[in-house]
Amino acid sequence: MKPFGCLSFWLRKKVLSAWEAVAVFSVILMFTHSAFAEVRIQLWHSQMYAHRKVLADLGREFETANPGVKVDILYRETEELRSAYQSAVMGGSGPDLIYGPSDQVGPMSTMGIIAPLEKIFTHEELAEFHQLALINYRDHLYMIGDRIGNFLMLIYNKKLLKEPPKTVEELTATAKKLTVDIDGDGRTDQFGLAFNFTEPYFFVPWIGGFGESFLSADGHPNLATKATVDAFTLIRDWKLKDRIIPSECDYEMANSLFKQGRAAMVINGDWSWGDYLEAKIDFGIAPLPQVKATGRWPTPLVGTTGYSLNPNLEKDRRDTAIRFLRFMLSSHAQEKFTQAVSTFPSLLRLQDSEAVKSNPILRDAVPIMARGQQMSVAPELRAVWDSLRREYQSVLGGVTEPEEASRRAQADSLAQIDRMNETLAPDGTRWIVLAVLIGLLGYLLFHSIKGIKAIRSARTGSLKFAYLMTLPAVIALFLVVVYPFVFNILLSFSNFSLMTFRDWKIVGMQHYISAVSDWSFYGLLLKTMIWTFTNVFMHMVLGVGLALIINQTLPAKPLWRTLLIVPWAVPQYITALTWRGMFNREYGPINQFLADFLSLPPLDWLSDPLLAFTACFITNVWLGFPFMMVVALGGLQTIPHDLHEAARVDGVSAYRRFWLITWPLLLPVLKPAAVLGCIWTFNSLGVIWLVSNGGEPADQTHILVTYIYRAAFNLYRYGHAAALSVLTFLLLFLLARVMTRKEEVIK
Amino acid sequence: MIRKTSSLLVLFLFSFIAVFPILYVVAMATHDNSAFAQRLTDLDWMQADLKNFKKLILETEFLIWLRNSVLISITVSMVGVSLSSMAGYAIARYRFPGHKWILRSLLTTQMFPASMLMLPMFVVLTQLKLINSFVGLLVVYSSSALPFCIWQMKGFFETVPKELEEAARLDGLSAFQTFYRVILPVASPALVVTGLFTFMTSWSEYMIAAIVLQDPALYTLPLGLKSFQASIATDWGLYAAASLIISTPIVALFLALSRFLVSGLTVGSVKG
Repeated sequence: MKPFGCLSFWLRKKVLSAWEAVAVFSVILMFTHSAFAEVRIQLWHSQMYAHRKVLADLGREFETANPGVKVDILYRETEELRSAYQSAVMGGSGPDLIYGPSDQVGPMSTMGIIAPLEKIFTHEELAEFHQLALINYRDHLYMIGDRIGNFLMLIYNKKLLKEPPKTVEELTATAKKLTVDIDGDGRTDQFGLAFNFTEPYFFVPWIGGFGESFLSADGHPNLATKATVDAFTLIRDWKLKDRIIPSECDYEMANSLFKQGRAAMVINGDWSWGDYLEAKIDFGIAPLPQVKATGRWPTPLVGTTGYSLNPNLEKDRRDTAIRFLRFMLSSHAQEKFTQAVSTFPSLLRLQDSEAVKSNPILRDAVPIMARGQQMSVAPELRAVWDSLRREYQSVLGGVTEPEEASRRAQADSLAQIDRMNETLAPDGTRWIVLAVLIGLLGYLLFHSIKGIKAIRSARTGSLKFAYLMTLPAVIALFLVVVYPFVFNILLSFSNFSLMTFRDWKIVGMQHYISAVSDWSFYGLLLKTMIWTFTNVFMHMVLGVGLALIINQTLPAKPLWRTLLIVPWAVPQYITALTWRGMFNREYGPINQFLADFLSLPPLDWLSDPLLAFTACFITNVWLGFPFMMVVALGGLQTIPHDLHEAARVDGVSAYRRFWLITWPLLLPVLKPAAVLGCIWTFNSLGVIWLVSNGGEPADQTHILVTYIYRAAFNLYRYGHAAALSVLTFLLLFLLARVMTRKEEVIK
Repeated sequence: MIRKTSSLLVLFLFSFIAVFPILYVVAMATHDNSAFAQRLTDLDWMQADLKNFKKLILETEFLIWLRNSVLISITVSMVGVSLSSMAGYAIARYRFPGHKWILRSLLTTQMFPASMLMLPMFVVLTQLKLINSFVGLLVVYSSSALPFCIWQMKGFFETVPKELEEAARLDGLSAFQTFYRVILPVASPALVVTGLFTFMTSWSEYMIAAIVLQDPALYTLPLGLKSFQASIATDWGLYAAASLIISTPIVALFLALSRFLVSGLTVGSVKG
């Protein structure tokens, strides 16, 4: 108690009075924020930086022309826009308009979260738009685009090559010549070609080039073809044989290499032009080169970016929103976009306008666009991307042969589509579920009545005080943790999915049965266990080890402690992304270190499944050891010094002193921390998600929680994901029980 | 002597590993966007500048996000600390019906995959009309940090000798007065640490903020930061610069309080 004595005297005044002052201040500030008056319309979008400026300008222009209207334009990353919009509309709110790529139309209209537009606009109005900009799905119009395009092409640096290659063979040869090690240090400094080749979106045009479409006319996957095999082989050869593309290259990398003049050619979309203009690269555009064997050109997907309307709006808000929509689709707004960021307008009358004709890139773009195929908007496309991504990445990793991969991609995408579209019907197990739920409810009711009685009878005693003290916390916990938890259990028995987004019901235990009868679940579980235990083990070893070292009589003790806490203090989403950058194959400091000091060849940290998982592991160990170290330091302080002294006098070695004195006394302190550490690690979504970019390569780095997250938000299988999360919870609960059984630390 | 040197060497090595990623962020922040496609040793440090920081403050709404984050985090940590110290105290000192149930559920709530609680949480907030407001975020943040904080406070209160309260009660203080005037001041180190944790969670939380806040004027730092990271074309220079500014206060707080951390972090303490 002594050290706290004077400390507390000092703190008592400082902490408590400062606290009260700030509390009052903050409450005042918080409430000053909720004063809104005029009509507000909200637009959510996922546009890039340069495009955001145009949107913002147009919003302001609309505000000036319409006094009393306030336009909020909100940027959200594509995936997040989708999931946030879904939850928002489901909760009965959400923005008035969303602006995004056309492929969101299928899923969103199936869920019933965007409104049909054909009754709002007249035939004459709609006839003014290019066909590609009017996105219909199942006989309704759900989106109107203000531009067409979003297609891939070959962009080349005019400084490095005069004429773009016409055929694939020519491209390979040219790129080989342009892939050079300029300074002679054994590393490539300039690449012939760079693109985000691990993404299937950048891959499917080539399937078209080899003579087939990857989707059949009715929107079904068509992947088990020779064209897919040939296209797989082409990209794999570029990566592994010809080595004309960087062996790890995501979108950012490709973009950055091209902007630095270190990639002669890049495959990218029309959206990137503005960026390259700004970087002052003298570039030209060309179609993706012809495939000689078939005489065809690759078929990039052509789509639109456009507006959809929220169906939940009240009358006057809806009218204002439609007014704003008309404004954003007007020729004035489209011209603004064309001028600022070179988009290709969707209004037919603008397509021959001066702004388009005088823009050399747009002029070249028209014939390229003509070679494309229209982007499908069916929700099934998502399942195709998912399966294709997995197989394609494993071909690139040299794990799977192209023939095998194309067959598997086809089979898997069909299976995924089935799963995505399934609507479970209630079956017999529903009654078991209902019985259990009613039982549970009864149990809870019984106990809460008992609890309320206990509180009332404890009117005078100290128990009443105890109840009053815990009550606020219990209410808060109930609202934010317990209720969602129960809701989630309900979901796990329901058929909530893409098809039943707005009218789901309890159907029974099907999700549980299918989960536990799926072998991959056990694989994931095993992997999660290994992940958890190795991580916590490393945290303990490093944490305790460093605490022991710091605890000696050493110079600059606070300094070391301070430095070693840094990984804990910096927000996780920042450090996780930083580690991803550090693991990059070509430019990451980790491979550089391995090469310079250990003369190792560069490792494919992010594209080899095992190494990618190891990268997540290393990051997580780095993040977690300071916590254990601090706990261990606290524990070490409670060990009486004379115990060690006495043992030392008796001639006990340092090693034996650790095991005889320190460890047994430290253990009760470490154990609860270890249990907590296990729980946190078991459920750590962020690190794996950020370091391996959502499970790359080929969905190989998932542990249970990341898989659940993916199932829920990628394939809309909420019921399935909820069941898995309940199972995860039960497993963890058991695990914690086993770990704490002996000493009942929780109690 | 050898032992001391080797200890220092180990400490130096690990401190370097601990701090290195931050240096990497510094390199990104002080160079233009393409720095991450270059090797650290190839970077021209003579070209390093503060352009990204300037752009961040002048051209983005960084200062608004900063204000929002400060406001939210301070309020959350105060509400969190108040609720958790009250509950933690009652749990540590009184045995009441439901006591065991609360204790168990504290650890249990940590076991559920948090990402799955998002959707129902959103529905609750919408029903309570708390979407798109600081109050909504305050409710969610302070309650989701509660289990850990209560556990932590309870652990500390158990180390406080009972004689202290007995003396105070004899002096005629009520139960609440005893708690507020006598116990809380003694528990300052634990309060500081608990407050630090809640502050840190709300300072760097992203996923919940992303669904609760929709008005850009209410954005917190992580949300703002994320807007530099588009699905295509991330502005890495701005991202890194903002990361540094965001990390600085939290690291400073952490370091300034690291002394308390050792004495106040009682996750590990057992009754005794």
